[in-house]
Amino acid sequence: MIRFIIRRLLLIIPMVLIVITLTWALVRLAPGNFYSTAKGLPPAVEKNIRARYGLDKPWYIQYGKTMGQILRGNFGFSRQYQEQTVNEIIWRTLPVSATLGLTAYLIALCVGLLFGTLAALRQNSALDYTSMAAAMLGISVPNFVLGPLLVLLFSLTLYWLPPARWEWAVRFGPVGIPSLRYILLPALTLSAVYMAYIARLTRSGMLEVLRKDYIRTARAKGLSERAVIFRHALRGGLLPVVSFTGPALAFIVGGTVVVERVFSLPGLGTYLINAALNRDEPLLLGLAAFISTLILIFNLLVDIAYGYIDPRIRYS
Amino acid sequence: MSQPPELEKIPTARPNEPRDKATPLAPPDIIAEQQMINEPEAMAADQLYGTAPPDDKLWQETAGGYIEGTSLWKDAWRRLRKNKLAVLGGITVILIVLAALIGPYIVKALTGATYESIPSDRSLVRAFAPSWRHPMGTDPQGRDILARVLVGGRISLMVGLVSTAVSLVIGVSYGAIAGYLGGRVDNIMMRIVDLIYGVPLIIIVIVLLALFERSLFLLFATLGAVSWLTMARIVRGQVLSLKHQEFVEAARSIGVPTWKIIFRHLVPNTLGPVIVYATLTVPSVILQEAFLSFLGLGVQAPLSSWGTLSSEGADNIAIYPWMIIFPGVTMALTLFSLNFVGDGLRDALDPHMRKV
Repeated sequence: MIRFIIRRLLLIIPMVLIVITLTWALVRLAPGNFYSTAKGLPPAVEKNIRARYGLDKPWYIQYGKTMGQILRGNFGFSRQYQEQTVNEIIWRTLPVSATLGLTAYLIALCVGLLFGTLAALRQNSALDYTSMAAAMLGISVPNFVLGPLLVLLFSLTLYWLPPARWEWAVRFGPVGIPSLRYILLPALTLSAVYMAYIARLTRSGMLEVLRKDYIRTARAKGLSERAVIFRHALRGGLLPVVSFTGPALAFIVGGTVVVERVFSLPGLGTYLINAALNRDEPLLLGLAAFISTLILIFNLLVDIAYGYIDPRIRYS
Repeated sequence: MSQPPELEKIPTARPNEPRDKATPLAPPDIIAEQQMINEPEAMAADQLYGTAPPDDKLWQETAGGYIEGTSLWKDAWRRLRKNKLAVLGGITVILIVLAALIGPYIVKALTGATYESIPSDRSLVRAFAPSWRHPMGTDPQGRDILARVLVGGRISLMVGLVSTAVSLVIGVSYGAIAGYLGGRVDNIMMRIVDLIYGVPLIIIVIVLLALFERSLFLLFATLGAVSWLTMARIVRGQVLSLKHQEFVEAARSIGVPTWKIIFRHLVPNTLGPVIVYATLTVPSVILQEAFLSFLGLGVQAPLSSWGTLSSEGADNIAIYPWMIIFPGVTMALTLFSLNFVGDGLRDALDPHMRKV
């Protein structure tokens, strides 16, 4: 187990390197520069700028220097937000995205598991059909359509929930914790797709497990229905849900980008897009490295969790 | 807990139901054996999927010594037709495709509006709520939203189809080559797939499209290039299970070149799962295109896609809600239908994969 974890951790390094190298190469290959203006700069000024940022050196020296910095965890100064280091920007924006992503995943997990299990227990009932149709709807309605529609309904028509303002969420929340009222709409928007997937996966997983012999044994020896479901069935039925967590995380990163844009939240995704659009190379590389490391570590955690739930899996 | 009906129905081999008209009178076990020799795939498929239709008519024809075999495709078609949701989804998709293809001309003939035409009368250059003349309303430039949704549908559907085709070509060739060559080549090729699978491609896609000049071609290529991985895995698995069968051996023994064995003999036999997965790729690619266009990284003005329309709508949600409702609902309906068709195809072609 320890060896498995160490090997996987070591594998994360080349993967992150691939992402950063690709990003770096794309920045260099793309037309345009971070310093180019509509009018164009005098050649002398341009030469000075290039010297200042080390752009006059051969590409392999630039690449080596950048990689060396990134591997040491120092991403340098942003070019777009002068006076701010990339690390500062990451630590400022991470709480926003993390709060949003985690809340969304928790909502999705609770609602998805509940309805997936209920649908499996009452297969072919009205509840089953309704929740599965709702799940299909959740998969089909894109979050950038769902978000505005939720705002239209809950904020602009019913006046129940505020359309998110991150500053207010922080100001009106308890100390250090943003107010749930303000992040509920974005989190709901983000969670819809996962809720749907989790409900579907739980249902099919549970249906398969409920037919197994060991469930019949559990029933036969007189366990209460609750014990059968919670102690025996859910454990096996949850496997597909756990393995979905990995892909879900990658999607959540994509989803937060959109949801942050819809609700104007200052999160990692917003900065990633802006950095790419503004050719802000240090910020872009830093964010790419940080986000991909995060995703890869979470994937590893998912694989470890998998082993705990299903003892049949052995790591080699 | 009762068993789902599909599983109860799966029959074991039906030895007293001869299916080959050449040997109607032979004892059942010999017939079964001959069938295995004559049509190993059909037989295997029938046993696996339990597709031998048990209706009476066939039985009577069999008694008369005459029977028509049911191919996997015919059978899948029969099962697909029985799935009401899939049929409804299919009809909706066809209607939406037709609307996107000919709709813009009809709108132009009836109202004179095209997706980019801004009315010359200055008083009309503002957003109007839906009316008879503009069933989906107009945007702040006075452009007809119905026309824009229809033209956007063309772009979105085209991106869906072309990118899926790109992912098909890459994924099928890659998976088939890896599966057939096997050994070290297979090992290396699939390790590469595993590696790319781990890399968060979404970041690369965003960076790529944000940095380079946006064009439809780049969009097709990028979306196709990131969605071939699962396809490669599916095809490889299929090829692995097929490559030791007699028909491959026969082809090899008469000297058919390797590439021809792969693409003429093996690939056509993987078609079932490939079609299912491709059908499910289309909505996911359409969604990704819309996602990128929504962020301003996809289709560029003056062209419209469902993503850019939703983006314009989201910006004006408080004042002109119809600007997001109509493109959003159209898109959701399309994806909804495509997903149902994909699910139905999966159930029809491979009942084993069915979500019970």
